[in-house]
Amino acid sequence: MNRTNALIELDAVTKSFASFEVLKGISLSVKDGEAVCIIGPSGSGKSTILRCINGLIPIDGGRIRVGEIEVHKLRSEKEMRPLRHRVAMVFQQYNLFPHRTALQNIMMAPVQVLGHDRREVEERAHRLLAKVRLSNKADAYPGQLSGGQQQRVAIARALAMEPQVILFDEVTAALDPETVKEVLTAIRELVDEGLTCILVTHEMKFAREVAERVCFTDHGRIVESGPPAQIFDAPQDPRTREFLGQVL
Amino acid sequence: MFGLDYSWLSDPVYQGWLLRGTLNTIGLALASSAVAVLIGTFGALALSLRIAWLDALIELFVELFRNTPPLLQMLFFYFTLSTIGLRVTDPVTGLSVPLLSAFDCALVSLSFFGGALCIEAFRSGLESLPRSVNEAARSLGYSRWGRFRRIEVPIASRICLPALTNILTNLFKTTSQASVITVPELMYYAGQIYNDTFRTAEVMLLVLLIYVSLVSVLSWGMSRIERALAFPGYGKGH
Ligand SMILES: Nc1ncnc2c1ncn2[C@@H]1O[C@H](COP(=O)(O)OP(=O)(O)O)[C@@H](O)[C@H]1O
Ligand SMILES: [Mg+2]
Repeated sequence: MNRTNALIELDAVTKSFASFEVLKGISLSVKDGEAVCIIGPSGSGKSTILRCINGLIPIDGGRIRVGEIEVHKLRSEKEMRPLRHRVAMVFQQYNLFPHRTALQNIMMAPVQVLGHDRREVEERAHRLLAKVRLSNKADAYPGQLSGGQQQRVAIARALAMEPQVILFDEVTAALDPETVKEVLTAIRELVDEGLTCILVTHEMKFAREVAERVCFTDHGRIVESGPPAQIFDAPQDPRTREFLGQVL
Repeated sequence: MFGLDYSWLSDPVYQGWLLRGTLNTIGLALASSAVAVLIGTFGALALSLRIAWLDALIELFVELFRNTPPLLQMLFFYFTLSTIGLRVTDPVTGLSVPLLSAFDCALVSLSFFGGALCIEAFRSGLESLPRSVNEAARSLGYSRWGRFRRIEVPIASRICLPALTNILTNLFKTTSQASVITVPELMYYAGQIYNDTFRTAEVMLLVLLIYVSLVSVLSWGMSRIERALAFPGYGKGH
């Protein structure tokens, strides 16, 4: 991996919750415009990796860099702000704000946090709603939307921050099979447009199609990583083989 | 009808007392409600900061004022505070008078009583928010104060509204106890009138009706607010 053009770089990252070591030295680098999928058994630390990258949880050891931002050195929420602008996150449970409409959910942070012009943000929000094919739901509250629709609003909300990177944490895991496809379609378009994405997913077919690289995690380590063809068709590590044997 | 005699009601003196009493009751209720909601808001915010000594202090306040009779609190403020030295010299008469008037004492104790109940209600409202919503707000760059103001309070306040309606209704009714420390509110003047006229049943019936009307207006107003603030998936939203 060429270090100079890596947009995101994790170097020997460790993290423990109390005495339980969740990440045991994660090293990973992601180039600008790359789509990387993280797969692995539940509890292996996938969500924790994403949450460390955008500073939601502090790390114990190692280094994390996003662009020129050294994430492990950030201490306060105020120092985090440039990072928040640059790295957006989409969650398994959508986590929309229930008291605001779809349009307002998308507009809130750009206006209230980034201080962007309200009218400009409103145009942006309508454009993004169209992009995720929900123009007709602008005034609907999250409680009035299906899971798939809420997740697409959440993606539009992340995009409204105009991030350089989006982290997706099992964003289809809580959805009905019928609505999984509409969300995956939306994500695929972003990857095709060259947005840098790190996706934790259980959709192996999707991972194979969109990812340039797949990382397999187990017990807080990246056991194996490589192009999807290698990981899925010729896994080297017995743990990868066992995991893929269970899910495929 | 039913042998009730309301002829005293045509006396302008009694009319004036009833009017003044009603206005004072409304004033005391509104003022103590406003302060109680403020205390509840800042108390719940302070608790959400999770600072041990502050938590202990607020806990003590809540236990003290929620678990003692409001009447006792009023008597305490009225008699004890002025005795232990909270007195000022009246610039006109030169006499030493209590710093807090009877009305002030009632206002303080009702505000503390209502405030203690509000802290409890608001705290449980805030705690009912899913942690994940807060995490989403952090990932969007909201500061602690920004999250509290833009996300936690707006959502929690809708969850809390039914409980708040109960608290304010209770507070309204509890204002009547201020008559004991001579605050000239509705109950106080009611006593004056039946001491004068001996028409106890008639006076009480009328006062009852006034309280019912006032509290009805309060709960009507609160349910209007509830409906206006409702959003689908919570409370009165659908
Ligand atoms: N805030 C936390 N406190 C304590 N333990 C946690 C916390 N977050 C995650 N864990 C634990 O860390 C391990 C890895 O969690 P996670 O990163 O969510 O795994 P994955 O996303 O791969 O399923 C799990 O065993 C989980 O219970
Ligand atoms: Mg996870």
